[in-house]
Amino acid sequence: MVFNTGAALLDAIVLAVVSREKEGTYGYKITQDVRTTIEVSESTLYPVLRRLQKDECLEVYDRQIDGRNRRYYKITVKGTAQMDLYRTEWKNYSSKINDLFEGGISV
Amino acid sequence: MNRIEFMTELAALLQDVPIEERRDAMKFYNDYFDDAGEENERQVVEELESPAKVAATIKADLGSFAREHGEFTETGYTDSRFDHKDMPAGRGEQESSYQYGQNGYGSGSWDGSYDSGGYRGYDSRNDHGGSYGEEGYQGHGYTSDGQTPPRSNSVLKVILIIMLVIVGAPIIIPVGIALIAVVFALGITLLAVFASLVLTSIAIAFAGVCVFIAGLVSLVPQIAVGFALIGTGMILTVIGVVATVASVRICMIVLPGIFRGMVWVLGRPFQRRAVV
Repeated sequence: MVFNTGAALLDAIVLAVVSREKEGTYGYKITQDVRTTIEVSESTLYPVLRRLQKDECLEVYDRQIDGRNRRYYKITVKGTAQMDLYRTEWKNYSSKINDLFEGGISV
Repeated sequence: MNRIEFMTELAALLQDVPIEERRDAMKFYNDYFDDAGEENERQVVEELESPAKVAATIKADLGSFAREHGEFTETGYTDSRFDHKDMPAGRGEQESSYQYGQNGYGSGSWDGSYDSGGYRGYDSRNDHGGSYGEEGYQGHGYTSDGQTPPRSNSVLKVILIIMLVIVGAPIIIPVGIALIAVVFALGITLLAVFASLVLTSIAIAFAGVCVFIAGLVSLVPQIAVGFALIGTGMILTVIGVVATVASVRICMIVLPGIFRGMVWVLGRPFQRRAVV
């Protein structure tokens, strides 16, 4: 991939992935889901999740699966608000870029 | 490296982060392995690259929780690790982690929302040539962290040693001389013990020969005594010769060791002082 995925964009992508699941989702699945969209190394996502958790954008809980506790991540109200912000920002940002790329000479 | 080894090493590398962080990270990666399934274990280990890298990623992110100062831009996030590229091996870790604290998150305010200012530095940093994004996170060129032995405050150590030498000189020098003397005396004693062994053996052999001769001489006046003396002389001679050979052998084995030991013991303080 030619373009970088900055920390904010990575946060937004992870939030988006987690917010798709009402019941929350877990680390391995989040990683796999994110990787269907962008290339990230497996070790990249844990810090992002941890950070979002500390920012109270995500909350965690453990659920019994196959006789063990699996940690689930779920978006919070704050996270949803943050996601809305990201969404708006991204719309702005990407539409400007799109205009520039596809709209030709405007300056 | 298998899962167990990976997790063990990761746990070891995370010893210096708060316990809660460590537990959370271990939980995450443990779940990760569980969910990936046994059949993917090898692949996961490969993709995670190394415990050192995972640990560094975790620690790098922990630093950013100094919120008041932290600007969490992409470059700020990655800097601490990818500065390694330019660092000469060895010192790299120390210096870059220092930078990390000082500059990585140096300026700007992070108020919980990524306004456009949050992207500051993005463009200007881009001309580093590499792409910091996903590829950057994978840590190409990341090698040194975790593997370099900590070069912790060696300067302080040297100063301490110098002070110790100055303050302790009146004590250290006589004590040192005494120690050297003791070692020397011990060496000489050991030497003497072995030398005496050899000498005793030779003496026994010599005595045996003498008794043998005495026996020969007394054969004429008193045959029985003569034979007895000759027999005793022969036995003594044999014992003496065997003992001589044996003790010389022992000396050949032991003495070089003793000398080496003495040289080593005496040499050690001098080597240390030479370092200082």
